[in-house]
Amino acid sequence: MKIGLIIWFSCLLTSTFAQQTITIQFRNTIGNKVLQLGESYENSLGEDLVINRCKYYVSNIHLVDGSGKSVSASNDYYLIDEADSMSKTIVITTSVKQVAVIEFLLGVDSIKNVSGVQAGALDPMNGMFWTWNSGYIMAKIEGVSSVAKVPGNLFSQHVGGFRNGENAARRIRLELSNFKFQISNFIIIEADINKWFESVHNIKIAEHPICHSPGSLAMQIADNYATMFKIVSVN
Amino acid sequence: MRIFSVILVLSFFVTAGIAWVSKDVNNKIIGTPIPFIVPKGWPKPVYDFKNNPLTQEGFALGRKLFYDTRLSKDGSLSCGSCHQQFAAFATYDHNLSHGINNAQTTRNAPSLANLAWVKDFMADGGINHLDLQPLAPITAPNEMGESIDNVLKKLKADTAYKRLFSKAFGDATITTQRTMKALSQFMLLMVSSNSKYDKVMRGEASFILPEQLGYDIFKKKCASCHSEPLFTDFSYRNIGMPVDTFLNDYGRMRITRNTLDSLKFRVPSLRNVAYTAPYGHDGRFFALMNVFEHYRSKAVNSATTDSIFKNKLALSNFEIGQLTAFLYTLSDTTFLKDKRFAEPGTENSIPSFIHLH
Repeated sequence: MKIGLIIWFSCLLTSTFAQQTITIQFRNTIGNKVLQLGESYENSLGEDLVINRCKYYVSNIHLVDGSGKSVSASNDYYLIDEADSMSKTIVITTSVKQVAVIEFLLGVDSIKNVSGVQAGALDPMNGMFWTWNSGYIMAKIEGVSSVAKVPGNLFSQHVGGFRNGENAARRIRLELSNFKFQISNFIIIEADINKWFESVHNIKIAEHPICHSPGSLAMQIADNYATMFKIVSVN
Repeated sequence: MRIFSVILVLSFFVTAGIAWVSKDVNNKIIGTPIPFIVPKGWPKPVYDFKNNPLTQEGFALGRKLFYDTRLSKDGSLSCGSCHQQFAAFATYDHNLSHGINNAQTTRNAPSLANLAWVKDFMADGGINHLDLQPLAPITAPNEMGESIDNVLKKLKADTAYKRLFSKAFGDATITTQRTMKALSQFMLLMVSSNSKYDKVMRGEASFILPEQLGYDIFKKKCASCHSEPLFTDFSYRNIGMPVDTFLNDYGRMRITRNTLDSLKFRVPSLRNVAYTAPYGHDGRFFALMNVFEHYRSKAVNSATTDSIFKNKLALSNFEIGQLTAFLYTLSDTTFLKDKRFAEPGTENSIPSFIHLH
């Protein structure tokens, strides 16, 4: 009886302490420069641009261990906002000891697009929701470019859509295997904004200064942003 | 050692107990529940009440919000400005709704009733949940022109609202979600099910001859789209209304980006239709007679025109007369005069027909 209790108690303790905390930090760049809002850059398509706003959703984070087992690491939704440095750091707790792969959804799953008014990161107040055509903006970039032939040269690319054939959320899978694996409590993920404009498709600001609805342009930008993430540091 | 074991066992039960109690607290409904009554013979509502249980307190808050002009940028418009009870919560006399700063919108305000049975909102079906619907008119620059952020700031500055949110949701936190859910509670209870038609269906009244003849014609020529008991099948159809070249509103196509949906608009309910003129998504029909005239002589055949109207709709003068008699039986004065839905504080006064916008 006594021994049983002690075993039960120690099991309880181990299972509690087996949880490890992992900090994931997002860092937006343009090529090899760290992105700063309001700064002038040239993207890889040779277009000048200043970015005033850069926001995207990260959700459905899963961790895969060495054996290939995928475990949900968070049910939360995170709005990564370049203007809010706090928002760029995500802390998760997991029982996975050896993380081999990080998976997450860039965007908001279709369920949350059809389940009425949400709170927290998904509050429509955050400016990432289309009120006239219900649905989340998965990611947005707004800024100024001399090639944007629109009032004030203000280009604005809001990418969303959740319906079949128009779903702009993208599953991102990043392997940690290239990194000398230690305890992996701190992971830096870089998002290269150049890829937003030039990757699977060429999205010239001159041709597409505005994207404000789901559809083929949004899908093309989504294909591009699916490739913009990479792990640059694990320690 | 023995004491240690006892402490362990006790702590286990205490922890489990706390978990059980806190679970109970989370599930507890704040306030006085209001039952939602589904009229006899009606389908099951599509709104999920589990996520937003109706309470007296939530309803009262929603009612105040519905009539609060602070929801608009310049404090001139409330939801109730374009959704007037005496017009079955449509706008009396306006073809297109009016926004702030002399703005004109592109659509006719629809009547609000029986919203618990509606899955998608707007004439183009662009909004997929009642809880999200108010965000569109609040933020549209040609309607109330305000940001959600500013609306919440204004509400938070008002101690009356702190008290009402507290009563409705258990604490005074004012959020988008709570604001929208309270508005939904108010609107969900706006059920119109006590017209003469309903009384006839319940066996409490009977149609006079023209009404009965009209009902028979209705079932033959109208009910395939305006199906009972909600008087709409919620489908999107092109009834042969050519595009207005000033508005260029192509309806459902704006949402689906499918050319097959060009000029399709949602079939509106006909409940209280005698009170909701003008008609059509852009209010182009001044009176019921214009609608009948459209169907029988003016409908335009285009690629997406509904097959029902390919050869227009045969309606004799006699039929129009009887149909009108039937449509008037859909007027529900219980609903139109229900004091629960009036602007707070006006319950005992004569409804104001003075129209400012």
